[in-house]
Amino acid sequence: MVFKSHIRPVWPAVVVSWILMCCLPYAALAADMGNCLLCHKYPGLSRIDKEGGMRLLYVNEEIFNKSVHAKVKCEGCHTDIKKIPHDPAKKVDCLTECHILEPSTEQKFSHKDVKTYLDQSVHSTIDKDGKEKKFPEDMPTCKDCHDNPLYRPLAFVKKVRAGVAEESLGRCRVCHKKEEFIFRFYNHITTRLHKSRSPLNIAQSCGRCHDDQELVARHNLSTRAMYSYGETFHGKAANLLDERVPDCLDCHVVKGKSVHQMYSNDDVRSSTHPTNRGQICNTVDCHPQASPKLGSYNVHAEFSLKQSPAEYYFTVFFIILTGGTLLPLMGIMFLDMLRRLFPNATITGRKK
Amino acid sequence: MSAKYPAIKMKDGERYFYRFNLDERIQHIIFAASVVLLVLTGMPLKFSSAGWAQYIYPFFGGTKGAPIVHKVCGTIMLLVLAYHVYRITVNIYKNHILPAKKAGNYSLVKILLGQKMVPNLKDAFDIRDLMKYLLFFTNERPRGDNFTWKEKFDYWAPFWGCIVIGGTGIIMWNKEIASHLIPGMVINFCLIAHSDEALLASLFLFIWHWYNVHYSASVFPMGTVFLTGYLSEELMVEEHYDYYVKVMKENGLEHEIKPPHGGGGHMETEGGLS
Repeated sequence: MVFKSHIRPVWPAVVVSWILMCCLPYAALAADMGNCLLCHKYPGLSRIDKEGGMRLLYVNEEIFNKSVHAKVKCEGCHTDIKKIPHDPAKKVDCLTECHILEPSTEQKFSHKDVKTYLDQSVHSTIDKDGKEKKFPEDMPTCKDCHDNPLYRPLAFVKKVRAGVAEESLGRCRVCHKKEEFIFRFYNHITTRLHKSRSPLNIAQSCGRCHDDQELVARHNLSTRAMYSYGETFHGKAANLLDERVPDCLDCHVVKGKSVHQMYSNDDVRSSTHPTNRGQICNTVDCHPQASPKLGSYNVHAEFSLKQSPAEYYFTVFFIILTGGTLLPLMGIMFLDMLRRLFPNATITGRKK
Repeated sequence: MSAKYPAIKMKDGERYFYRFNLDERIQHIIFAASVVLLVLTGMPLKFSSAGWAQYIYPFFGGTKGAPIVHKVCGTIMLLVLAYHVYRITVNIYKNHILPAKKAGNYSLVKILLGQKMVPNLKDAFDIRDLMKYLLFFTNERPRGDNFTWKEKFDYWAPFWGCIVIGGTGIIMWNKEIASHLIPGMVINFCLIAHSDEALLASLFLFIWHWYNVHYSASVFPMGTVFLTGYLSEELMVEEHYDYYVKVMKENGLEHEIKPPHGGGGHMETEGGLS
């Protein structure tokens, strides 16, 4: 008993120390120079905005510190906030210059170039003649497609921790001594070596607009893109969480170009323009032995008489064949079960 | 039938009638097993957004392993089909064409139409009689021959299915080579045919075929003819009465012939037996 009374006070200290040790690396990486988390660390922090929607203002520090913007200070994006407590914050402008220095030019970092590309793409709000397109509000802005993604290191090095290869980090540590730098640099490079989202996530992201029936109709688009993609082998494998199958961007972005440089199908610069389409499937990464004729595969065929009449009638044939075969047989099965209940009965009421 | 496979076997005081030899039973078991695996690895892809697909597909190795299982099973299924066609061709040539040529009355059409699995006029009458029975116009079931219209349906439906599903599967599997011969949009039609025909075949086999051979009240919980090759006398009487009478007569058992299902005694048959 005496022994226990000596031990008991030590436990809370051990637990607290352990928790602090676990939290320390993330706390050390935080970009919360302005002490914003003083308030925003509370999970329930929220308010109702003027439109009546609830705005959740909680920031999960641990998750944020694993995101690609972890090094950017809060005030780097929320430039209108100068004091605490602050007035309702304005929407973040992703094109603003933040406090990060772009290492190759040592200039302040900005996403401005993205806008230059986007303004020339199919998603621009202005047409080739410089006039505003119809329904410009339907065109995506940065945050329609992008959130603050987490680092997503390569999937094939999942042996130790998800996406982290200790072998690779060990090589980094030979020359680089600062653990935070190694963590950031390693994650930045490995995340950028592939897409930050799975094919399914990318399809869902595009589908937010391209599967919206009203938007598709407004812009005279020929398909609900995610739905029709989901009917292909690629889309089905993406549904089953395959990371290797091509998604929207693999076909609709010219190799070597940015996703922001996507063009309309009738623009000769587009990868899906009829003159370029044959080169989509038979790239070295996909079907290298295939003929350019494989490109005539109708990826976005829908069960629609207007959009794909041949596929429509072909599918209808199989629907009729299936119904025409199974329904009579199931009728016979049902009658057979019924008949077995009354094996000797006839409608004339007598045995033959 | 032969000494190896007597037409009637006695076991525990019951008669069993010969239906399938060992070769046919092995073909059927391999074919059935490959079809079940093909369905289990194919349907999760067809219905990839369904919740259950997310559980079944990983069981077969997910998007990496399941396609391999699917292709291996598809190859086995087509090899069984090829073997089956080969065996039938040899059988028809040896047992029908050569004897007919020797006898001087060779007619290929006549020989083919006379094969036991080829639908004939009696099948049409049997369907009519079955409907009469099921709709309570009579209490007598149709008197089936060696192979009834149901069995012929069960035989030819997968036969057609194998050709459609197998052919389109080969094209999609080898799309790179195929693309040099056909335009890519043909693969759209291959996918529709492969997938929709597979759904039809699965529903047909697992509902209709399994009802007739396993779930029907006469055979529940499981028919055993696909394992033993022999069918019980009770089921022979119910489904193959004309053929049953013929076999009993051939084996000198005229006086032990049971009445037809729903009948009240030895009935007059087309063969003239009383």
